[in-house]
Amino acid sequence: MSTPLIVLIVVVLVLVWMYNSLVSKKNQVTNIFASVDTLLKKRYNLIPNLVASVSKYMEHEKSLLQEVTKLRSDANRAHISDEQKIALDAKVSSALGSIMIAVENYPELKANENVMHLQHSLNEIEEQISAARRAYNQAVTDYNNAIEMIPTNFMASAMNYKPKEVFEIQESERKNVNVKELFS
Amino acid sequence: MKKLSQLTDFYYETLYPSLKELEKQRTQLKHRLIVLGIIYTTVFIFLYFVLAPAVSSSWDLLSVLVFIYLTIGAIGYKYLIKDYASEFKIKIIAPLIDAIDKNLSYTPTTHVPEHLFRKSELFTSSIDRLSGNDYVRGKIDDVNIQFSDIHAQQRVRNSKGKDEWKTLFEGLFIVAEFNKNFYGKTVVLPDMAQNRFGNLLGSWLQSNNFTRDTLVKMDNNAFEKEFVVYGSDQIEARYILSHSLMKRLLVFKNKAKKPVYISFIGNHIHIAIDYSKDLFEPSVFHSLLEYKVAMDYVETLHLSLGVVEELKLNQKLWKNHKKNTKLE
Repeated sequence: MSTPLIVLIVVVLVLVWMYNSLVSKKNQVTNIFASVDTLLKKRYNLIPNLVASVSKYMEHEKSLLQEVTKLRSDANRAHISDEQKIALDAKVSSALGSIMIAVENYPELKANENVMHLQHSLNEIEEQISAARRAYNQAVTDYNNAIEMIPTNFMASAMNYKPKEVFEIQESERKNVNVKELFS
Repeated sequence: MKKLSQLTDFYYETLYPSLKELEKQRTQLKHRLIVLGIIYTTVFIFLYFVLAPAVSSSWDLLSVLVFIYLTIGAIGYKYLIKDYASEFKIKIIAPLIDAIDKNLSYTPTTHVPEHLFRKSELFTSSIDRLSGNDYVRGKIDDVNIQFSDIHAQQRVRNSKGKDEWKTLFEGLFIVAEFNKNFYGKTVVLPDMAQNRFGNLLGSWLQSNNFTRDTLVKMDNNAFEKEFVVYGSDQIEARYILSHSLMKRLLVFKNKAKKPVYISFIGNHIHIAIDYSKDLFEPSVFHSLLEYKVAMDYVETLHLSLGVVEELKLNQKLWKNHKKNTKLE
């Protein structure tokens, strides 16, 4: 076999490998985002129940409850971009966090079985969302690295791949969950 | 659970009468072993000089004699210390375990069931022979836990075409219920590739490990440096390995001071600590009252049963209590 032909085959193989690796990284991001999305929806579905259970007692936090309801309806709109979903998730997380802290001020609520059950469900889903966010961030980092690093960056720009945004991990998530506090 | 210092006190105070008695046995045994050892060795040296002129290759004779010497020696040694060893386990190890928690049972001669070790998928090579002893099982803080010494071996053919036994793992194997429900498999192994070949080549090798599921890169640098994670589900692996659990596993690894293999399969956590020796065996040539010897027993027990507290397996916040699976 002549040398130019071998070089050509090697070049083609490298190009195919680069192309496939970029596509697989992009698909990984899409797949994991789909899981994130499912979990976020699961959490949004808990919101109406939560608002209904606590609104009778929470007179002072009406605006907070309205806000969280509004965020939920925003998230349920059709055709919102991934970036918007990421932004909404951050807001919902912080609003739900505030509601949970507020619940602590109402002994009747803390003792309410329905609220307790909701709290547990929210905590569980919060852990799962946190794991999904971390998985998503890793997939995005791998993807962003590939489209910015030599040599795959040339191929990526030819394929019109753009860097993607990561979820911001809140500092509170890095802390340990205090079970005693949750149960008290 | 009792603190390490409380257990050390228990060892030196409550167990002191038994220790003294055993010490007497041990010194006698030591003398007997030394005397028998000298006679035994002299016999072999004598045999060598008698047989050497009769054979053509003295090297062959030497290697055969050394082989016989070591084999019979090892069997003889085991036989001679048998009574002392079993007494040691009954009088020292059993009360120590009892002192840690009354609900624990201890059987010196059996080990964690083989199927649990295989199920852990910590070692992918075929396990052809498995032995072990010092089996402890029970509940700590309502969490099912069991552990024992395990020696897993594989049959390999050497360059001369003979079968040999290669040790895959020798050390402590712990199985405990995990406090979260999960469906996939997550395996955490000591990071050898990245330490040996550097970050770039090491991580490339790790991501192309065909005997494992896909590589899961964790977002904790200290953890990534020590361990490599493979999982069947990227999200679930992170659901199990939360930031706090990663920190706790690092602390645990530093306490163990040995390579640690961990897997999460079937709602259980499996931990294998590679000590490369049989644990909880009585010391023959060092006093049982020596601090270092004592700490070997106390620390290892405390570490293995401390897993529940150390990794917070007793905090079953997210787990449906009704769904708790029982350890078989």
